[in-house]
Parts: sequence; C-alpha cells; structure tokens
Amino acid sequence: MDLIWNGVVEALRLLFGGDGSIYEIAWRSLWISGLALVIAVAMGVPLGAAVALNEFGGRRVVVAATNTGMAAPPVVVGLLVSLFLTRNGPLGDLRWLYTPWAMVIAQVVIALPIVMGLSLAALQQIDVGMRQQIAALGASRLQGFVLLLREIKVALLAAVMAAFGGVISEVGAVMMVGGNIEGQTQVLTTAIVQETRIGRWSVAIALSIILMILAFGANFAMTVVQQQGRRRA
Amino acid sequence: MSVSASAVPVLVARDLEVVRAGRTLAHVDTLELLPGDVHVLLGANGAGKSTLLKALNGLEEARGTLELEGRAVATAAARLALRRRTAAVFQRPYLLATSVRHNVESGLRLRGVARAEARRRAAAALDLLGIAHLAARRPDRLSGGEAQRVSIARALAVDPAVLFLDEPLAALDPPTRRTLVTELLDIFAARAMAVVWVTHDRDEALAVGDCVSFLEQGRIVQTGSAVDLFAHPASASFADFLGLDAYLEGEIVNAADGSTRLRLASGVEIACREAADGPAVACLPPEDVVLFAGPPAEHSTSLRNVLPGMVKSVSPSGRLLHVVVAAESTEIAALVTRAAAEELGIEVGGYVVAAFKASAVHPIARHERRLS
Repeated sequence: MDLIWNGVVEALRLLFGGDGSIYEIAWRSLWISGLALVIAVAMGVPLGAAVALNEFGGRRVVVAATNTGMAAPPVVVGLLVSLFLTRNGPLGDLRWLYTPWAMVIAQVVIALPIVMGLSLAALQQIDVGMRQQIAALGASRLQGFVLLLREIKVALLAAVMAAFGGVISEVGAVMMVGGNIEGQTQVLTTAIVQETRIGRWSVAIALSIILMILAFGANFAMTVVQQQGRRRA
Repeated sequence: MSVSASAVPVLVARDLEVVRAGRTLAHVDTLELLPGDVHVLLGANGAGKSTLLKALNGLEEARGTLELEGRAVATAAARLALRRRTAAVFQRPYLLATSVRHNVESGLRLRGVARAEARRRAAAALDLLGIAHLAARRPDRLSGGEAQRVSIARALAVDPAVLFLDEPLAALDPPTRRTLVTELLDIFAARAMAVVWVTHDRDEALAVGDCVSFLEQGRIVQTGSAVDLFAHPASASFADFLGLDAYLEGEIVNAADGSTRLRLASGVEIACREAADGPAVACLPPEDVVLFAGPPAEHSTSLRNVLPGMVKSVSPSGRLLHVVVAAESTEIAALVTRAAAEELGIEVGGYVVAAFKASAVHPIARHERRLS
C-alpha cells in the first residue's frame, strides 16, 4: 500500500513541481492524437456519408470492411504502417518511420474506421423522407450534407469521442511505428509502459494521471456540446 | 380561385415520366398549373401520386418536359432552382432538430436570405398559421397538428410559386384536419398560390380541389372539376374508388322522346343519365337511394325510378346502415340512418321499395367494368 501511496505523492510532486519532460510528453501525445483525430474526422465523416447516402456496387463489402476496421488490433495497424514506411516499403522514401508523422498515420488508420463507421450508422438511421424534405427545402448537396450532420450531431460527437479515446490511449501501434524515442516520439502511453517496466512507479502514475485528465477533459468538453441541445429542449 | 384563361401557367408538365429499373412509376401526358389553382392528385395507395409529385417538384429525375415559370427544368441545377422556387409539405412534418423558429427560417436561409429578413418572414408565417407562441419550442415538444402547422409555415415562408402537399393532413385527427383545410384554402386564395395536393381521401379532394386528377398505376386516367369528376367517373375502377360499388347491368336504350333508359335483365327499364346505346353497367351511389316501406305515392316524390325488393343484408357503415336490396334481378345498395331503418322496419328478408333519380344512375361502358 505504501508503494502506491508514495507513488501518488511523488507523482503529484512531479506534476505540480513543473517537471518539463512530463509536460513535453503530454503535449506530444495531445498534438499527435489531436491531429490524427482531425484528419480522421475530415476524411471519415464524408466517407461515411458517401456510403450511407448512396447506392453502389460493393457497398456491403465497404460497410463490412469499415466495421472490421473499427475493431482492428492496434498492433496489426502498427505492422501495416511499418510495412509501408520501412526503408524498403512503398513509402520508405519519406523516412517517416520512428517519427511523430508515422504515429499520426497509425492513429488515423485506427480512428478513421471508428469515425466513418459510426457516422455511417447514424446517417443510415435518418429517414429517407427527412432527406427528401431537406432537398425540398431548397438545399444544395453541400447544404443538405451540413443539415444532415446537424441532425446526427449527438451521434457524431459520440463518434469523435470514441475515436479520441481509441487513439489517445493506444500503445501498440505508436510503440511500433514511433519507437518510443525519448524526446522525439515518446507519448504518454509508451512512456507509462517504459516507466512501469523499470520500476519508476511515481513517474508512471504521474503520466497516467495526465492521460486520464486529458481523456476526461476532452470527453467532458464534447459531452457538454452534445448535451446542449437536450438542455434547450 | 379561378384564373382567367389568359393567365400563364406557372408549372407545365408534358409527357413527364418517372422510370425506374425499366418500369414506369408515374406518367403524365399534360398538366398545366395556373396561379391560384389547387390541383388534386387523387388515387389509391401505390397509384403513383407521390412519385408524380416528386417528379413535378424536382425531387425525382424524370423524362419529358417540365417547365416552371416558362423555364425548362432539365438539369440537376435546374431541379435545384425549381425546388428553390417551390416548397413541399409531406405527410410527416420532418422538422429539423432545432427550434420551430429556425425550422421556419431554414428554407429562407438555404436560399441565401439574410438572417434578419428570414427571421421577419418566419415570424409572419408563424403568425399566419397561428403558432407564433411555439417559436422557441423544439419539434419533440409539439403535437402532431402543431408540427404539421410548423411544416406548412416553413413552406409558406419562402412564398413559393408552387406549393406541393403530399397527404399533408393524413396523420391528423378529423377536427384538426377540418380546421386546417379551411385555413389553408383561405391562405391559398389570398395569395393566388398554385398548389398540387396529393391525397387518397375522396372527401379531402372534394373539399380542396378546383381540379382533380385521378391516378391509377402511375397514370392520370381522368381530370376535371371535383364536382364533375365525382359525378361522372369515367371508369369502373374510379367508380369503385369513389365507393360507387353498386352496379346495375343491362342495355342502354335511347327513346325517341330523348330519354335514356337502362333495360335490366328482367326487362324492367330504369331512367338514367345520357349514354350511348348498347350493353352497359351503371353505378348508383348508395347515398342517392331512398327506401320506403311501401310504394311511394306518385305525387309525393320526384324520384323517377321505383323498384320494390327484399332486404338482402344490413350492415353498419359508420353512423349509417348499408342496406342491400334484391330487386328486379339486381342488387341496389342504400345508406339510411339507424332511426330511419327502425321507422321503416328494415330487416333482412323484409319488403322494401328503393327509389332514386335518373341522374343518380351513371352508365359506364360494359368493358370498363372491373372483373372481380
């Protein structure tokens, strides 16, 4: 019990004592996951909408692949991205393996099916009559798309939260493609693994507290936005 | 609501056809809509009314010619332009997940109307429909009637050249329906608005339509004024749809004195509307048949056809009773009040006399009779 208590006290001292390296790791985690999330949302929502709102050959295959992607093991994603970015791989010339960019790509691959699959499912729930009504209101395709997104705002924010939770807490893929290089590619999750392995419990606890605060903070902010409509009703 | 013959049609459709997977879902030879017209598309479920309405509103791609205010609607951009000059209300209100005010503003905002102007026009539309007090509410806090009023206000706010209504009252209770019909007709008349109104309800069509088109299997089979159309259904299927389900079968005979008579199989002749000589069936609306306990005194009635018979069946029909009388080798249906049935002593197997005017008997050529 002492081990845990002392670990927590030491962690709080590190957090409030202004240990620069801890905050550097936290910031790196935030921007890598944040950027990956932005890219995944920018791609996933229109892709989800395209699949949900159109009929085309192979549509079922695309939906099944998306749903499978939502449950893809991060280590498999890490392997896939490594294969593409390794020196002899198709994108080896970019020299991105073991850089934050490789970690962003891996997290996009993890988050994209989540955003795409959940927005696809939400858009499919919208009555065809509503889509016709929106068109009859005089909406162009783009205006109609924006109105539909507003209709699924709650589900869309849930998709963003799920995707953010997935990437900020993910360790396998970023470890494989980032290499957990101190000062360069080390993020909260990979640092926690390393600090735990070498028995520096207090640092691991401090990093975990930051990770939890980040996850809670992001989800709380999105929940507030999500519930605004409900309060106004 | 009539418009002078020189008025320019606001909407014209010629040979307009909606085809999906090689099947024609809706087709119209010619349809012209003048400002102020309320044109009803009437038909049973699945007749293609809504498909035709969507084609006219640019929601469905269609072959043929469609013109709005003299401009051809042939491309996706032109269909969008058409939708922005018109408005549509469907059976379900389909309100956006935002306040009533924003819903009513939405059509205007999508057309690029400035926020302040959109707000002003939305407020006027809400006032017009008597729902200004609901402006801040969200759709899930509205009753069905309120929600449909919001949907109609949203459509009227854009001041459409044509208003398309697809069974707008079907989900509402009868009192709300009656009130809304009256209000809407007043609004349409005041604005000289062209309206296409889809319904499967005969009474609604009669109440709202200047002009009614009856659709069957995606095609308009008869068009005319509501009163005329209902009095002279051109096909047996339309007569069936109108509830004119009692057929008299025989031969039309035009006498030298100019009268037209239908000779029944028993040889008895009954006076009927004008028709060409030859085999025919005629429909006789049950509400036009009067029953008597015995032969009516000649001076007491102007009803030219009097047929004695025996009551074959009595069944409830709403607040009335539907009485089928076997007379002269045929069957005649009549609707009577329960009080009248009691007074006349109507019971199955009992004697009764059916009487009706010649104008109530509407002959249809024999080949048009639906086989059942």
